[in-house]
This record gives sequence, structure tokens and C-alpha cells, in this order.
Amino acid sequence: MAAYRGGDAGAFEVLYARHRTRLFRFVLRSVKARALAEELYQEVWMRVIEARASYAPKARFTTWLYTIAHNRLVDHWRKRGLTLVALEADDVASASPDPADHAQARESLARFAAALEALPALQREAFLLHEEGELSVAEIASATGANEETAKSRLRYAMAKLKAAVDDG
Amino acid sequence: MADERDPKISQRYRNLSGEEPSRELDQAILAAAHRSVDRSHAPLVVPAGRHRWYYSLGAAAVLVLAIAVTIHVERQQPDAELAEAPPPAPQQDKPVSAPTAPAAQPSRDMAARKERRQVYTPEPPPAPAAPAPTQSAQPSAGAMADSAAARRDAEASAREEQAKRNVEALKKERAAASRAAPAPMASPYAAVTPERELERIADLRRQGRDEEADKALAEFRRRYPDYVISDEMKAKVERKAAK
Repeated sequence: MAAYRGGDAGAFEVLYARHRTRLFRFVLRSVKARALAEELYQEVWMRVIEARASYAPKARFTTWLYTIAHNRLVDHWRKRGLTLVALEADDVASASPDPADHAQARESLARFAAALEALPALQREAFLLHEEGELSVAEIASATGANEETAKSRLRYAMAKLKAAVDDG
Repeated sequence: MADERDPKISQRYRNLSGEEPSRELDQAILAAAHRSVDRSHAPLVVPAGRHRWYYSLGAAAVLVLAIAVTIHVERQQPDAELAEAPPPAPQQDKPVSAPTAPAAQPSRDMAARKERRQVYTPEPPPAPAAPAPTQSAQPSAGAMADSAAARRDAEASAREEQAKRNVEALKKERAAASRAAPAPMASPYAAVTPERELERIADLRRQGRDEEADKALAEFRRRYPDYVISDEMKAKVERKAAK
């Protein structure tokens, strides 16, 4: 990013190639609709480009990138009148996944996908940041504006629910 | 947070379909990144916003500096070396001072420097005590012109010598007058220069008042015994019959 800030457009291409797939999956699995995911994904990168001149490396670029993505998702949900509510104590079943997913219950992969989709938004985000962004708990806390204990708790709940789905398969 | 990572969960997650952004989306984002870099060079050409004052200030400073240097150069006097260096004409120098050494020509650089000196020196004084040029006249094509020029130079030197002697005589005379007549009873000649006195005598002579002119001339020679009257002035102040 420092090279791109210095005017090296080729450096941006390297960065983009490194993060495009993971970031896109993070956004897509956060909003579930591909068209909306593409729109938000593009906006995240545009914010990266706009911040080129003022970029100061206070943290890993990955953390900074996923912080932008998180903020963009929060903005999106606020516009839709939705708020992210922590539902750490909720049962996975209470999320009532699509009945079509139940029809494919024998396929473990589908079950896993359903479990991921069924996760409360903040838990899913913590898991996706951990899995796609390879962020540590401290970095997840930084990216989402939460304290480390909260971030750790969200991630632990998400992992437990997904592990249950895997074990069932 | 490696302890939170579960390999089975990670593996299952990786087995989900690998969605990717579309190629069009990639190209749009990369194009925007390139445009941003290209735009960032624009302020170097067209300064905008709060940085405009900086360029204006720089331009004003350069302008003031240029004007100051120009005024300084115009007021600058030629330095002592250039002002006092006798600038004899190059064509006079060569035959008189180095007639037998044509190989020892001054370099072109030196010649150019002499040219510049002549340009900077407003009234070049004649060469002091230049030797008479007649004895070493060259049998070259420009010998006649050179000897005439040398003769003019010698005459100018002689006039200069005479003027110097006159000035010396005048100084002596004034010093003597100041010693003889302190202040109130100054001589009527005290404020009159020898040249003016000679002009007055010449006027008398022109008006035909020869008697008065003779007396005044005698008085002048008595007062200025060391003053050498030029030939031209002699013709004006002396009686014609005396010639």
C-alpha cells in the first residue's frame, strides 16, 4: 500500500490480487445476495483507493482493509433499518434456516453452509474475519470496534456452532 | 489466535463454492486505481487549493530578486583594476612594445578581455609616458598608419604632461597666495584661474587693446612663472608682431 501511495499503480494490482477472493467471500457471505455483495465489494475498494494519499500504516493492511469492509457493512445495514444485535445465547435452530437447506441435510457441506448462514451476524462476521481475513482476535476486535473479550466470545460461539454442524455430518 | 482455528471447520469452509468477483468488477476497480494515480500528478502542473499561495510567493520572490540584481549591476562601477588599467589601442601596442616577437601574441581570450575593458572604461586616459614610436617603425603595410597613431599618442602624452605641470604650478601658486594674504585681502587673481586669465587676455587681444593685453600677459607670467602656455593659446594672447 505504501508503494501504491507513492504512485505505483502496479502495487495496487498485487494487493488486489492477494485479497480479492477472500474479501469478496467475506462480503458475499455477510449479505448473501451476489449483486449487493458486488456493489459493497466495489465500494470497499473505492474507499481504499480514495484513502491512498492519507494511508498511514498503523496496522496490517489486511486489518485495515477488513475494517473498511466492516464499516461499509454496518452502513449498509443501518440504511436498511437493520442493526447488528448480538445473539450469542441464541440457538442455531432459532435462526430457522431455509427449508431447502433441510432438504439437503444429508450433505454435510450444505449443512455447514446452512450453519454459517444461520449464525448471528456478529458471530458470522467474527468467523469470516478470522477465516477469510486471517485476523487474530485482537485484530477482529480492532476491525469491528469491539473489545477483545467480546470479539473472542463471538468467535468462540461461531466456532462451536459450526463445529456442531461439521460433527453432525 | 491460532488456538481458535479448527482444521475441520476450515476445511469444510474451504469446500464451499469458491465465489469470486466478476472480471468486469475487477477491471473497474483496477481502472479506478490507475486513474487515482494519474490524477495525483495533476497538482504538480496546476496547483490547487491552499497550496496556490506558495507558488505565487515563489514567483514574486524570483521577480524581486531579478530586479534587485539588475539594479545592482547597473549601479556597479568598474573595479579599480579595470578603471586604472591603461587601455592602449591594440594596434599601437603591437608594433611599439613587441616588434620582434610575433609569436608572443596575446591569446584570443586576453584580446577579448581587453575588448571588454575598453567597453567598461568610459574615458580611457592616454598611455602614460609612451615612448616615441618613430624609431621602431615597421616596414609592414600598416606602418604609416601605425606611426601616425603613435605620433598622436605621443602628442596626447605631452599634453597630459603639460596639464599636469600646470596643475602643479597652480597648486603652488595658491599655496603661496594663501600664505601671503590670509583671508580678507585676497588677491584679485585668487579666484581667477590661469586659463580664465589667458582667455581674458585673448579677449583684450581680439578687441585690439594690445597695450592692456601686453600688460596683463606680463603680469600673468610674473604670477605664474611655471605655467606653460600652449601653442594654441600663445597664438591668441601674444602680440602678432612678436611672432
